[in-house]
Amino acid sequence: MRKTVRRMVVLITGFLMGFSVVSGQDVEAGKVVYDKWCAECHGIDGLGDGSAATTMLPRPRDFSQARYQIRTTGSGQLPTDDDLRLAIQEGLPGTTMPGWPNLSGPETEDVIAYVKSLSRFFGQGDPPQSLDFGSDPGGGSEAIEIGAQAYLTLECEACHGSAGRGEGTSSPTLEDWRGFPIRAADLTEGWYLNGGGSVEDIHARVLTGLDGTPMPAASDAMNAGVVSPDEVWQLAHYIASLGSAEMPTLRDVVRVARVEGTLPTDGSEAEWEGVDTFYFPLAGQVIQPPRNFAPTVDGVYVQGLHDGVDIVLRVQWHDPSESPDPAWDEWQVKFMNAIDLDGDSLVVDSLEAPMVRPPDALAVQFPFEIPEGTERPYFLMGDARNPVYLWTWNDQSGIGAGRGRGLDSVEELPEDPVTGNATWEDGRWTLYFRRAVTMEGDGLSFQEGTAIPVAFLAWDGSSGEVGKRNSISSWYYMLLDKPASSTVVVAPLIAILLTGALGLVLVRRAQDRERG
Amino acid sequence: MKRLLKQPFWQGAIVVAIAYVVFKYLIGYALPIIGVSSAPVPSSVILQYMLTVFVGVLLYMSAEEGRWGTFQKPIKEAMVSRDQKNLRGVLMVVIPIMVGWLAYQNVKPSFAAPATLRSIHPAPPNEITFRGLPIQLTGLENPLHENGSLEEHLQVGKAIYVKNCVPCHGDLLDGAGHFAQVFNPIPADFTNSGTLPMLTESFVFWRIAKGGPGLPQEGTPWDSAMPAWENILDENEIWSVILFLYDQTGFSPRTWHEEGEEGGEEH
Ligand code: HEC
Ligand code: HEC
Repeated sequence: MRKTVRRMVVLITGFLMGFSVVSGQDVEAGKVVYDKWCAECHGIDGLGDGSAATTMLPRPRDFSQARYQIRTTGSGQLPTDDDLRLAIQEGLPGTTMPGWPNLSGPETEDVIAYVKSLSRFFGQGDPPQSLDFGSDPGGGSEAIEIGAQAYLTLECEACHGSAGRGEGTSSPTLEDWRGFPIRAADLTEGWYLNGGGSVEDIHARVLTGLDGTPMPAASDAMNAGVVSPDEVWQLAHYIASLGSAEMPTLRDVVRVARVEGTLPTDGSEAEWEGVDTFYFPLAGQVIQPPRNFAPTVDGVYVQGLHDGVDIVLRVQWHDPSESPDPAWDEWQVKFMNAIDLDGDSLVVDSLEAPMVRPPDALAVQFPFEIPEGTERPYFLMGDARNPVYLWTWNDQSGIGAGRGRGLDSVEELPEDPVTGNATWEDGRWTLYFRRAVTMEGDGLSFQEGTAIPVAFLAWDGSSGEVGKRNSISSWYYMLLDKPASSTVVVAPLIAILLTGALGLVLVRRAQDRERG
Repeated sequence: MKRLLKQPFWQGAIVVAIAYVVFKYLIGYALPIIGVSSAPVPSSVILQYMLTVFVGVLLYMSAEEGRWGTFQKPIKEAMVSRDQKNLRGVLMVVIPIMVGWLAYQNVKPSFAAPATLRSIHPAPPNEITFRGLPIQLTGLENPLHENGSLEEHLQVGKAIYVKNCVPCHGDLLDGAGHFAQVFNPIPADFTNSGTLPMLTESFVFWRIAKGGPGLPQEGTPWDSAMPAWENILDENEIWSVILFLYDQTGFSPRTWHEEGEEGGEEH
């Protein structure tokens, strides 16, 4: 909704500016704006080679070749000014390119002119024309079903995978036009899509393709009669149905509900269906070198249950590779060569060198004891003075527990009774940890009804993530339900009765006194 | 209406109601709209504030015999007057139910995070050790104002900022980088007039050099994702990025002169 409003503002400004496009855009003034805000990423000459570019994947756009993703024009065509304005004002979510609402209308127009002047392709021939998008025949389950069929017909699966998480078989081979590795978008997390997650956004990207990436334009297949214009819309509805356009609201307390009867351990999807899911975004560890500027895992989905004796945590996250997996060797080498590793030594710079294949991994972090006051261990795996208690898993050695005294100082706790297992399916890990609620010896004893700090860390082996180069969260809380108690009903009832009685007595006395 | 406003009982009720609206909504939700950074007040704190206001109102009302009498009048009337029978009946039902509801709010299972109080600009130390060497912060000026070309320092500072700081503080310096949503406390917003202009360059140097781990207890050092940049950047690089921060946002740093006048952050 907010987005629609913003977009309308963009359109209206665009419309108002439209009359003066040529005269209202000042290339010289645009250069001033560009040098101040854009050059450090896009490069002083617009070649996408700014000083910070090596810490970014996807790389900042090289404007000289004028290959744009956010277009309403045909595949391989230049974008319209409206397209550029939209990209600049709204940015490209899921990349380091933010929207630039701080620029005034004229500044935006000027910078558009300057960006265009960085390529010799603009200004030749007729101005670019938007394609006819037709009209949306509408969504609904039938449309989604037709869309799902089109997804197969057009072989979107090859890259995006059957679940749409970017786990297709071609995924590890993908690169952009400059030879940098590029991931097939995770279509189930619409809030990270470059051009936005609404049906209209998705339709525009699918129809016109993403120039400069391996992502093809459906308009070609449409013109060849393989799919109809309506089917392309229905395909967009199908993709929108795979996830949500907005990030799930961030709630900072994971509720671990209490169940009577048996706990689902490695349970089927069905057993966990009704259990509340908490989403936490993760960021690259960019705090201590070697830093991780372009992390793979950007969020975890967490559920928990307990029965007073045992607690089970279920953590899911998206990762297109089940590392270690030799199919991803080429990706790993390309990726590690493309990104600034911040001095890390685990560089495998050619496929001929002996391959190091780190496993995928995840850790759940708690304090060793429930803190009395507000102080807790340092959120990055604790420190020497105040260690953290870890549940760890990796795809080689399985489940374990540990004592963390900093990101590079984890000591195993072999006696710890935590158990669990992990499975990877269609680009998603599902991991279970199970342990007794209370514990003798080294390790946290959970206490029902008390908020317990919790945090998450994840590693994607196929992108060479090991040690400090990982994804992290900040501290959140976990809360185990207490057994159902009668106080919840009894206390308010007693309060009502007492107040009522007190009221009666007071009124009676006041009336007696009044009558004398 | 006017008559009601003259009656102390209703005056008191209005004061209490306004106080509640201020604590509950204005501080947390309205201030950010006009650009002042703020956060919702935790309910336990609201309860404390409200008790204080309530006791204050009672004290004021009872301070004068005459006022106390008029204050009590509507209450007495509701309790005894024959004309107020219906009102009496309603109150006898509504008040106990409200108390019951309050009791329920207290005993129902809560899934809110415990409130933490955090000082945003804690007092800086007088001296820090930077990569093993002592640096006196009090009275310290940015040495690059006097040395070399400002143009070049700004270029260095900008390159450092975009590579190192953008992921959290954002390209727009607004604290909304692509990783910002992950961190709690959220990264500082340098476009906010409550941040850079209120700080001396030496304070900013301390915060950059020592980061989250260098905060005093009241700054909750265990939560802050701000790196201790002395591990990555040298002294001149930090001073350059400080020059860039002020230049790019158009703010001026607080001077030691101003600091002296108001007593400043020194204690
Ligand atoms: C922090 C780095 C950074 C800064 C600063 C930055 N950009 Fe970008 N920009 C990027 C990246 C990265 C991409 C490519 C994203 C992708 O390929 O998915 C991009 C892409 C673009 C695109 C292409 C959109 C499309 O349709 O393909 C435009 C236009 C653009 N930027 C304009 C600007 C302008 C104008 C500024 C300054 C006001 C700016 N950028 C500042 C990183 C940046
Ligand atoms: C050859 C591999 C490949 C195929 C086939 C492919 N895609 Fe993509 N797709 C990509 C890549 C790579 C990206 C990410 C580009 C980026 O991050 O800039 C992408 C991105 C997307 C996006 C996100 C756009 C955005 O705003 O970020 C959508 C939606 C999408 N693809 C849908 C489809 C559909 C529908 C099909 C089938 C018609 C399809 N893709 C076929 C590789 C492919």
